[in-house]
Amino acid sequence: MAKITKGINIPLNRAEGDLEINVEIEGGIITEAWSAGTLFRGFEGMMRGRGALDGLVMTPRVCGICSITHLTAAVEALDAIATVTPPDNARRLRNLALMVETVQSDVRQAILMFMADFANREAYADHPLAADASRRYQPLAGRAALEVIRESKRLVQVMAIIGGQWPHTSFMVPGGVTSVPEISKLLQCRIIVERFCSWYERSILGCSIDRWLAIQSVSDLDAWLDESPSHQESEVGFFIRFSRQAGMHTLGKGPNRYLSYGNLPLPLDTEVQGTDGRMTAAGFAASTTVIPFEGSKITEDVSHAWYEQGAIPLHPFSGRTKPYASGQSGRLYSWVKAPRYGDEVVETGPLAEMIVAGNPLFCDMIEKDGPSVMARQLARMVRPTGLLPSMAVWLNELVERRGDSFYHSVRSMPDGQGAGMIQAARGALGHWVKIQDEKITHYQIITPTAWNGSPRDEQGRRGAWEDALIGTPIKDSKNPVEAGHVVRSFDPCLVCAVHCLKKGETRGAVNDGLTR
Amino acid sequence: MKTAYWLQGGGCGGDTFSFLSSECPDIIGLFRALDIQLLWHPSLSIISPLSHENLYEDILAGRQTLDILLVEGSVICGPAGTGMFHTVDGHPKKERIYSLASQAQVVIAVGTCACFGGFGADDAIEATGLQFVKKQPGGFLGKDFTSKSGQPVINLAGCPCHHDVISGALMSAAKGVVLELDKYQRPLEWYSTTVHQGCTRNEYHEYRVEESDFGEMGCLFFHMGCAGPLVPGPCNKSLWNQQSSKTRAGVPCFGCTDPEFPRATPFFQTPNIEGIPLSLPMGVNRAHYMVYKGMAAAAAPEHLKNRKSKV
Repeated sequence: MAKITKGINIPLNRAEGDLEINVEIEGGIITEAWSAGTLFRGFEGMMRGRGALDGLVMTPRVCGICSITHLTAAVEALDAIATVTPPDNARRLRNLALMVETVQSDVRQAILMFMADFANREAYADHPLAADASRRYQPLAGRAALEVIRESKRLVQVMAIIGGQWPHTSFMVPGGVTSVPEISKLLQCRIIVERFCSWYERSILGCSIDRWLAIQSVSDLDAWLDESPSHQESEVGFFIRFSRQAGMHTLGKGPNRYLSYGNLPLPLDTEVQGTDGRMTAAGFAASTTVIPFEGSKITEDVSHAWYEQGAIPLHPFSGRTKPYASGQSGRLYSWVKAPRYGDEVVETGPLAEMIVAGNPLFCDMIEKDGPSVMARQLARMVRPTGLLPSMAVWLNELVERRGDSFYHSVRSMPDGQGAGMIQAARGALGHWVKIQDEKITHYQIITPTAWNGSPRDEQGRRGAWEDALIGTPIKDSKNPVEAGHVVRSFDPCLVCAVHCLKKGETRGAVNDGLTR
Repeated sequence: MKTAYWLQGGGCGGDTFSFLSSECPDIIGLFRALDIQLLWHPSLSIISPLSHENLYEDILAGRQTLDILLVEGSVICGPAGTGMFHTVDGHPKKERIYSLASQAQVVIAVGTCACFGGFGADDAIEATGLQFVKKQPGGFLGKDFTSKSGQPVINLAGCPCHHDVISGALMSAAKGVVLELDKYQRPLEWYSTTVHQGCTRNEYHEYRVEESDFGEMGCLFFHMGCAGPLVPGPCNKSLWNQQSSKTRAGVPCFGCTDPEFPRATPFFQTPNIEGIPLSLPMGVNRAHYMVYKGMAAAAAPEHLKNRKSKV
């Protein structure tokens, strides 16, 4: 009879914030999984009653790695309330900062957080590439780890040139941005981006971006890998070889439903191409069938989260965040709510962006093998191939048109409500805001990790990575590195996923049985 | 060799990402040059959960020495003092913070949340600083706490803390330098300079050429909520990410090194009396300041009134 181990608790590090995965293992396979965000911090309650623009200062502090991202969502909500369209140069600068943040996050996540596990000698002693992996990814020592720390830091300078510092600036304001860098600084940004791009091509891809973008299918990918030693030895090539050997192309399926809000509003006059006014397309996909995105289909379920229970799941313009800390119910197990789209469990992130945009390679991967840890992680590693070329275009346009407007004055905020819905590095991020008498009356945030790391909903359906964990083989329950791969392929960011309240709104009893 | 442990409390990880921007030395060179072994960092370590538990037990039992404890994020004490809003395997994380602080030679609070509570200090999460709650001494460890070297908690304020301050404090701790602290336990090395010092808008400030909208060249102190003259910090002395600072990019200083950060009044606005800010630069007499600013405005040269000086 298969050995059944119940209630193994896996604290997961290298995730922003605190995350514990509780699993049941039967015969060496995960048969049940519960994902618990164990830090309640959040911001929504803190926002109520504050000044109309305070979201621009408060919400970047939700997350140290997606600070610009929250700023972007916050300012888009305020633009909507002020019914103002920022000038083209403001669009370019906002987009550039957000793209830099995404690119640095993608390479840091891949090498420092995901592939660091390949250097876990306890887990991969028998893997034929283990020694090579250790030379590459050993924290603060591996060759690739050192390169990523040095190169990503240089790229981050672009955000400081545009916004003053990183993380935690507030240079985006309703109507535009607070300044435009001088010509010499814009030219310096060009050089920083070009330099980063050549490093990215040389070390991460092992080929030019153009050569990479010529890959249209899984067989093209195999041919690319066979084509040259530089492809095999690059981080992408090594990732593919290591993860296939470790079976990651069959691991971590998930719901096979994808969501992207779309991203990067295009300037009115630009060479960069897009869909419906945005560079990155919005949509929902069931497997690879894409249908248009509708914001009204978003709801949040709190049936298994430690919040005051409502009768039905609510849209974030109506939703509330009131913690209900009760030790009596084993049903509640996370500080993360359960967002659903059109009543479906979805995943979001780079793979979802690829599927919604109809990327031929990733659609082919999904149609052949279904979603997997490998597809999800590969999508993240190569996402910069779609961003870096447009960054260069926008920097050129800024140099040519630096004298044009960058700010339409918004002297006071009218009453109203607005949503800022964008794609963060980790996926769909929304801020839903209401303003009255120059004060915030309502602020709800749904983060990518709430989508991906949600607990069960009222119908008992698991969240995306809970679902992806089912069927995962665990060789050593004391070093469950495989479960880590599955969850990390979603790039968890728990500090983003949790919520907060004002004093005096706590309900219910608290005792030691609070967590499962 | 020295050992270091980086503990994550209730925070956003922003101080870690600031620290990654250290230059000359970068974090790799820093740890090597100082011969610091980083026992644990939540974003960088790869040891298994079991090995991490063993490490924690070894530190508590004195089998593993702990020279430098860095705490990022607040100590979450809510609801009602239980700490159950932030747990590790069902137990309040604050217990770990207490245990590790008791074993460390030097304890460093990295960022305003760890120093003073920061975000959530007024809320039900009861975000508490290691030795302060806002301006009130005591905090989580108590006002009489000293680490094994006899020093109180070293408060590296800022949201996030400036990368040069984090690496500078690590260098000092590793070399046994005892830093002189101000009344909020911030090292004078970095916190006896105001954010205003080195601001490129200073010429405008001198002559009271003040802005009331974004996108302009002048000073942001009188109307735009800038706290640069009010709070200490090296932002305009050691530039951020080797490049700039918020005020240089047209963004007011939000006063993030202050124990009261985030302030209760709206950002981007300066509370004032008769057009003069309610909070004046440190140690300034209001009557004198009003006369000085009136005369300064009258003396303002044309090139400043016309915003010809670049910032």
